[in-house]
Parts: sequence; C-alpha cells; structure tokens
Amino acid sequence: MFLSTLFLGLVLGGTYALLALGLSLQYGIARIMNLAYGEFMLLACFAVTMMFTSWGLGPLWGLLIVVPLGYALGWIIHTVMMRPLIKRSGGGGRLEVDTILATFGLLFVVQGLMLVTFGSDFTSYSYLNQGIGILGTTIAANRLIAFVVSLVIGFGLYAMLIRTRWGRALRAVSLAPDSAYLVGIDVGKLGRQGFALGGALAAAGGALVSMFQTFSATDGVVFTMKALIVVIMGGVGNILGALIAGLLLGLAETFVAAFIDPGLTMAATYTMFLAVLLWRPTGLFGKAGG
Amino acid sequence: MLEIDNLRITYGKHTALGGVGMAVDKGECVVILGANGAGKSSLLKAVGGVVRPASGVISHEGQDLAQVPAHEIVERGIALVPEGRGIFARMSVADNLALGCHPARARGGAEARRREVLELFPRLAERQKQLVGTMSGGEQQMVAIARALMSNPDLLLLDEPSLGLAPIVTKEVFAALGRIRETGLTLLIVEQNVRASLALASRGYLLEAGRVVGSGSAEQLQSDPAVQRAFLGGTSEPLENELN
Ligand SMILES: Nc1ncnc2c1ncn2[C@@H]1O[C@H](COP(=O)(O)OP(=O)(O)OP(=O)(O)O)[C@@H](O)[C@H]1O
Ligand SMILES: [Mg+2]
Repeated sequence: MFLSTLFLGLVLGGTYALLALGLSLQYGIARIMNLAYGEFMLLACFAVTMMFTSWGLGPLWGLLIVVPLGYALGWIIHTVMMRPLIKRSGGGGRLEVDTILATFGLLFVVQGLMLVTFGSDFTSYSYLNQGIGILGTTIAANRLIAFVVSLVIGFGLYAMLIRTRWGRALRAVSLAPDSAYLVGIDVGKLGRQGFALGGALAAAGGALVSMFQTFSATDGVVFTMKALIVVIMGGVGNILGALIAGLLLGLAETFVAAFIDPGLTMAATYTMFLAVLLWRPTGLFGKAGG
Repeated sequence: MLEIDNLRITYGKHTALGGVGMAVDKGECVVILGANGAGKSSLLKAVGGVVRPASGVISHEGQDLAQVPAHEIVERGIALVPEGRGIFARMSVADNLALGCHPARARGGAEARRREVLELFPRLAERQKQLVGTMSGGEQQMVAIARALMSNPDLLLLDEPSLGLAPIVTKEVFAALGRIRETGLTLLIVEQNVRASLALASRGYLLEAGRVVGSGSAEQLQSDPAVQRAFLGGTSEPLENELN
C-alpha cells in the first residue's frame, strides 16, 4: 500500500512538475502570468485523444506532434495578444495586471471553444493500461511511461537552460531583463520564445496527463492552479525547485487520498500552498529576497 | 570612429544634454569628466541606444546609430559597461562571460578571448563558479569589463568604473584598463576620478550642466582651472604619484 501510493504520488508529481515548468517559464521569461495555461494543456489532451481514437496514433507520437504545435500556438498568442500589451506597458508593473486580465479572458474563450467542440463530458482513452510489477507493487504502464517522459523532459529542459547558448540567454532575460541588451539579447524576442516554450511544455504535460487521467473541457483551471502552486512552492524561475515541488505535491495528494480521505486532496494541496506562502514566500528553496 | 554632434537629451522638461559634440578616433582613450548630474551617463546611454536623443547625431564608423535598438549596438562593436555595471548578479562568473559572447559578432574566437580576459583578471579565473552578486564591488566591476570584452568590441564605453571602489581596487581596475588600452581597443570613459582617468586617457572633455565646457589633452585638462575647481580642490601635484 505504502509503496504503491509512493509510486502513484511520484507519477502524478512528475506531470505536475512538468506543467509547472511551462508556467514558470512563461512568467519568469515573458513576465506573463498565463491564467489560460491549463486550457492549453487541455487542448493538447483533446488533440492527443483524437489522434489516438481516430487515427490510432499512440500518445507518445501524439506528444511529438502537439509539442511543436504548442510552441507555435504560444508564439502566435504572444505575438497577436501579448505584444500590444507589452508595448503599452513600457516595461512597467502594469504588464502583469494587464496580462492576468487578458489571459483570464482567453481562458473563457478557449474553454468555450472546447465545450462547443468536445462537449462537457469526461474524456479518456485506454492505452497501455496493464500493470507492471515494481518492487512488489504494481503500477499501470501508462503512468510509468508518463513519469519517465516527464522526468526526461524536465531534466532535458534544465540541461538546455544551463548549458546552451539559448538557455543561458533565456535565463539572463528571466534574471536581469534590464541588463540583457548589454550582451545583445533582444528581450522582446526571447520573451516570445520563452512564452512559446511554455506552450510547448503545456502541450507535453497535456499529452502525458491524457494517458492516465480522465479530463473534461472545464478542468483547465484546476491544472493552472496546481501548476501555480508548484511554481510558487518551487520558487519562481527555479527549475529544479519546480521539479521537486511538483513531486512533493503529487505525493501529498496521493498520500492524503490513500491514507486520510480522498475528499481532502484539494484541501491538502491548498494547505501546503498556504504554508509555503506564509513561511517560505520565496519558495521552498528560495533565498530571502531572491 | 565615434562622432557625436549637437546631441541633445531631454527627460520631459529637463534638458540633460544641451547640444554636445565630441569625437573619438580609433585607438584613442578619451575621458569625459563632469560633476554629478552633468549628463555623463546620459551621453553614454545615448550611444548605447538606451536613451533616444531629442536631436543631434551619433555616428559610429560613419553609420548613424539613431534608430539602432539597444540590443544591436553591441553587434556594431560598441560594448557598454553602464553605471551600476549591469552584470547578471544571480549568475556565475562563467555564465556572465559566456553571455558576453552571446552577440553573433563574438562567437568566433570566443575561447581565445576568454583566455585573454582571464589573464587580464586572474581573480576571475579562480572564481568561475561564484555567483557574481556575492563578489566584492571591485570583482563585480572586473566581471562587467570582462563581459564587455567578450563581445569582441572595437569601442568600449565605461561609466564610472571606479564608482564605490577603494583606492587600491580602483588602481587595479585602471591598471587593467591600461593594458586593455595597449591592445589598441578604443576606450571612452566617464569618470569622476580625475587623477586616475587623466593618467590613463590621452584626451578628455569636461561636461558641466549638459554642455562641454572644456576639452584637450590629458595634461591640458589636468591644469585646466575648471577641472581643478570641479574636482581637484586646487592641487596640481603630478598624477603619477597618485597612481603608483
Ligand atoms: N531617467 C531620467 N528621468 C529624468 N531625469 C533624468 C533621468 N536620467 C537622468 N536624469 C537627469 O539628467 C541629468 C543628467 O543625468 P546623468 O545621469 O546623465 O548625470 P551624470 O553626469 O551621469 O551624473 P552622475 O555623476 O551622478 O552619475 C540629471 O539632472 C538627472 O537628474
Ligand atoms: Mg552617471
């Protein structure tokens, strides 16, 4: 019981971490708090489901398709919707408020479109649902795959940000946007790329979640909230922090559901969130003032 | 190499620069002196593309910089070490240097340049992994200069490199600038440390309330009464004594 709960928690946490990474990139690099983030993730869920049920295309292939589409959609939304707001704000704090309002509106637009297109029923498909035995307990193969893929993407992203020229530039924009021009970085362009990259991660998260979880067109806000909680727990802009916080949140939810009461899952989530906000407002691993 | 003509900079109603002209030739080291608020930083910011002039011309290698965005200035070969240094405090020394060669023009020969820069600032070589924000002011200034050099510039703009540094550290920074100068790189330095900067520069300008009120060779400026009045408190002892 304990071991299987642990595995389930880790698996769930892995996808939370991945989702949070995308939101964190969009906020850290593009300075946009994307309240429609969960809707983008759901779009990927539906797309992967459709490709699987109508074309028989496996969700991992689907993932390879929706990730670039997520990047492209992020790029387009940034260019069409966010750029005018950025221009108008002149780099001030007004941008944050404006983008929160704008993406809040976008949330309902996308949600409405999904409701019209896919209906409000819960959707799921069955893919590699058989159990695999690990350390004396069994876990569904699809969850295990989702977990491994999330970790690969998460650490791959981390390595990209640390080691590559592009990653370093993205970090520079996130840490010191006012100085980036000194080394020839176009903050506007990198912001757009960061937002698009966040869209790609939302799509990856959606593809993976759809493998083992039922979802409906109105679930987006739940995922956005969870991603937001993980981002704040991990520390804004802290990639490893988000990975660990995501795993912790997944573990907390599954353990509370298994050993206390499934109805308290959300309560546990928000209790953790409040505790972090009260005692470690810069995140579990953040330095004061950092 | 750099020509500034009738440059006017205004912030709302306030005129920071009221028609300034100056020129810097290839290989020169020129200093801009001036008291607080004289408009020195505004001038460098205008060259760096951060502040848009109200009127006037800034041209580099014969090309007008008026419409060039700030992030493309460094691609033109102009590296700016701004007031406050503009380093990436929450990144390591190695990352700061690596970002220094982010511009396309800096990609070739980056490794060789890194070696040269670390020879120039051996202190940085030992601390590649340290977060720049945790370093001393002098070390941070060295990172800022080193990062600027990584961009393979042909003109280096420095805004008060000695600001907030102890005299001995200022000496170290200026000694490094001296060696940079010897490589033939063109330098334009804004300073309030008259002794150190006039010992380094060959020529200079004196700014007062947004206007050039004096110019000439380092020796001329050193004995210029306006400079004396503004900074030196009337003494005119040889500058070398202060530096060495
Ligand atoms: N962003 C700004 N908005 C309004 N006024 C400004 C701005 N920047 C500079 N000024 C004003 O322009 C004038 C020149 O400022 P500048 O920073 O260029 O002077 P400085 O010579 O570099 O001074 P310091 O030696 O103190 O660095 C000052 O009166 C300053 O108050
Ligand atoms: Mg200044």
